[in-house]
Amino acid sequence: MEIEARELSVREVNQAIQAAIAHGESEITVREPAARHNLGVALIEPVHVRFDGSVGYYCGGLIDRARITIRGSAGWGVGESKLGGDILVHGGAGNGAGAAMRGGTLVIKGSASARAGVSMKGGTLIIGGDCGYMTGFMAQKGTIIVCGDGGEALADSMYETEIFVGGDIPDLGNDAVVSEPSESDLLMLSSTCSAHEMEPRGEWKKVVSGRELWNFKKGSLAWREAL
Amino acid sequence: MCGIAGFASKTGAPARIGRTLLAMLSALECRGPDSAGVAIWSGRRAGDERGRWVARIKLGDGLSEAEASRRAQQVLGVAESLLPVRDVERTGDSVRLALDGEVDLDSFERAVEGVAPDVEVVSLGQSLEVAKQVGSPQKLDDSFDVRGMKGTHGLGHTRLSTESRIDLSHSQPFWAHGLADVASVHNGHITNYHRLRRIYEGQGVRFYTGNDSEVIGIYLRDRLGQGDSFEEALHRAQHDFDGSYCFLAATPDEFALVKDGFGFKPLIVAETSDWVAIATEEVALRAALGEGFETREPPARTVQIWPTMQAAHV
Repeated sequence: MEIEARELSVREVNQAIQAAIAHGESEITVREPAARHNLGVALIEPVHVRFDGSVGYYCGGLIDRARITIRGSAGWGVGESKLGGDILVHGGAGNGAGAAMRGGTLVIKGSASARAGVSMKGGTLIIGGDCGYMTGFMAQKGTIIVCGDGGEALADSMYETEIFVGGDIPDLGNDAVVSEPSESDLLMLSSTCSAHEMEPRGEWKKVVSGRELWNFKKGSLAWREAL
Repeated sequence: MCGIAGFASKTGAPARIGRTLLAMLSALECRGPDSAGVAIWSGRRAGDERGRWVARIKLGDGLSEAEASRRAQQVLGVAESLLPVRDVERTGDSVRLALDGEVDLDSFERAVEGVAPDVEVVSLGQSLEVAKQVGSPQKLDDSFDVRGMKGTHGLGHTRLSTESRIDLSHSQPFWAHGLADVASVHNGHITNYHRLRRIYEGQGVRFYTGNDSEVIGIYLRDRLGQGDSFEEALHRAQHDFDGSYCFLAATPDEFALVKDGFGFKPLIVAETSDWVAIATEEVALRAALGEGFETREPPARTVQIWPTMQAAHV
């Protein structure tokens, strides 16, 4: 079913989505979202909500089990803190894409801006284009896949999150190290990318934490540089 | 918070500027409920209509109707003693003077601002006009007929005051005092403002407000005065300013955006064959320009400049 959002407030749009779900609708299209903020937050039923146009900040935040498609760009914080579910952004994403996400997938066909996957706790963030400044900053778990180039200070101060980059890595953040993807990494990358019809720009590189900053070490160069 | 907006036409249709900026500012009002303002470049070149200037002057703060009228007469008197005044238009606490002849900007400012301590030349240029005040974008339009303003490009701002007073002088856009036809709008907080201010005050530069955003125009005037191109000055600003910022700045010929190195503040760009539009939030672009174009967020540290229609008519 369709919701015409142009004349509705954000609250009314979200209430209309919730009402549709309560009525048993599983395929919901929101027309003319006009890049407004906080749309489609906290959807925890296994429904599909499609936004026909760009959305603003925090679209799909706090969702679980739901599937969201954004036929446009997303602003800051798309999918932030989501427990599960899947989000697909056809365009690009602003800062903090998938911030603190815990599970499920977030796919951005275009490029992501600064701090993509910041403080990520699980799930998979896939970026078809490039990623921005400090992508993966302090990310704890989960996987970030960047088909294009890494941005400045990639993987700064990371924990166990793994980042795979298909393009160039012009700059690494504090304690980030480049390593070789394993066979199973490459299999995962190949199947994930083909499932989402995306391709790496070149050979896959893996970026992980050097683990020098996880515990304070007095003489450590990493600590001296980071501080 | 604050919201900034910019629009540059590539193909003409000068009537579009005021309407488009107003629609963008209305959509950004929730980011900045304190004040609203626009800076519009009319397209008049320094070469044609030699010696045509427009001064927009704040007559004072919180004046009664009678006081404002009296101040306007005093300001007019001072202006007329310097050069011919072709037209006078008063709106509340502001007056717009159209002037003929050659203007020494510093002398004009000093003379007019000598009328009273709270008189300020808000903008002075051959192409640029700044209209700003406390209140909403709608109120700005009611006061100054923004939707009727025409030009090649323009900037807009809605203000949420964070560290300084709410009044006309502290609102944006800021004209770069003493530098004809250059203005800026800023979202963020320039954290080395006080250090920069001390340096400039040591050189005798006057600051009109306690608003950190004002230092952008002062910095640009300094760098351009030292021989930098506009592009060089903007790159240098991106390097020298600390803190969070997205700012837009323009001259008659160039329209530019600058983002800090951490990507602290949002800024969305859309470009078609007809125009370039920039705003803090995409809602503003959609409200003013509809669908049918894509948007992007420039990366942190971006400095990007577009030639304006005025540049095209060289």
